[in-house]
Amino acid sequence: MPPTPSATQPINVKLLLIGNASVGKSSLLLRFSDEQWLPEDESSATIGVDFRVHKMDVKGKRVKLSIWDTAGQERFRTITSSYYRGAQGIILVYDVSNRETFDALPRWYSELETYVSSSVVKILVGNKLDKEFSRQVTSAEGQEFAERMDSLFVEASAKTAVGVKEVFTDVVEQILDTPELWDNAAKGRDTSSGNGGVPGGVQVVGLHADNTQSQDSGCAC
Amino acid sequence: MPTELPYAADAEVSLTYDELEVLRLQYQRELAQAHVTVQTKFNYAWGLVKSPMHEDQVEGVRLLQEIYRAEPTRRRECLYYLALGHYKMSNYEEAKRFNALLLEKEPANLQARSLLQLIDKAVTKEGYIGMVLAGGVAALGTLLVAGIIRRASR
Ligand SMILES: Nc1nc2c(ncn2[C@@H]2O[C@H](COP(=O)(O)OP(=O)(O)O)[C@@H](O)[C@H]2O)c(=O)[nH]1
Ligand SMILES: [Mg+2]
Repeated sequence: MPPTPSATQPINVKLLLIGNASVGKSSLLLRFSDEQWLPEDESSATIGVDFRVHKMDVKGKRVKLSIWDTAGQERFRTITSSYYRGAQGIILVYDVSNRETFDALPRWYSELETYVSSSVVKILVGNKLDKEFSRQVTSAEGQEFAERMDSLFVEASAKTAVGVKEVFTDVVEQILDTPELWDNAAKGRDTSSGNGGVPGGVQVVGLHADNTQSQDSGCAC
Repeated sequence: MPTELPYAADAEVSLTYDELEVLRLQYQRELAQAHVTVQTKFNYAWGLVKSPMHEDQVEGVRLLQEIYRAEPTRRRECLYYLALGHYKMSNYEEAKRFNALLLEKEPANLQARSLLQLIDKAVTKEGYIGMVLAGGVAALGTLLVAGIIRRASR
């Protein structure tokens, strides 16, 4: 039987959004999936992990995206680490108006190398492009770093919607161009073969940051 | 195309045995050393709440309640996972109560709003089943009464 995915089942694609807290991961997802934007003061930081399903047609194929939106905060790192399993695409986000979030990227890349194989598609996203006046990371810098990390690159704004659709279509197109990531026949289904991840994926991370915190709060007797 | 709501990511997927074991071991190690960090306790509680086993869920909720009391900085996530845990145990009133506390502080929180829809859906379903059961009992009653009347009229 010849496989005709477009006529039958859609191709399932799992994407994971990672990056520092407050760079706009949830906002990008909300803009993409619901075409919505919450006022700055109404949006709340993600608790652990959030999830959305989105169907789209790319390159004549029906694709069902499950997009996992992780909390960037240190105290959720163990939780979010369990969600790398089976991801075919990783969206790494930083804030173009916040240097620190760009400087944190090597740490995010090393985390993802722990959990997923190198064939997984990566896209680097410089978000908050609308804050051009307070930009701290140039486009060229972002582009150059992305190339070095073997990643696609897009600048976007969840607020104005510029570039948002490209983020998701670019990553899905590249996934479709890599059949080993989605085609059972092309084998190699399991992408969770990083270097040194605990079987299953959960790793106890972020303990140090919290040791100090819990000492501050003292005894609750 | 709009997202399929409602959905609570952490309600759907459980950890594997090995994954939960990583968190459990860390917790027990610290417990043995008589100093459990909040982070370790929270991670373990989260893993327990996600478990499909009722006794794990009960223990997870118990730990979350302790963290909620002791750690004001972790209240929002405790409320969320307490709501989620009670939802999974079918304690819908408790689930709603904790979720409402979170929504009170963050009315636009999409995760809490989605969880509320999930809870409401479950309550409606349960109410419907209750009605069917009650209806069944009523029907049975009618049959019995009919039988008594039939017998009496003989
Ligand atoms: N100006 C601007 N603000 C943004 C943009 N995207 C997100 N934000 C704001 O940045 C803050 C953090 O966004 P959020 O999506 O919660 O970040 P996350 O922690 O990465 O999920 C919120 O106040 C958003 O309104 C953007 O493209 N432009
Ligand atoms: Mg978020």
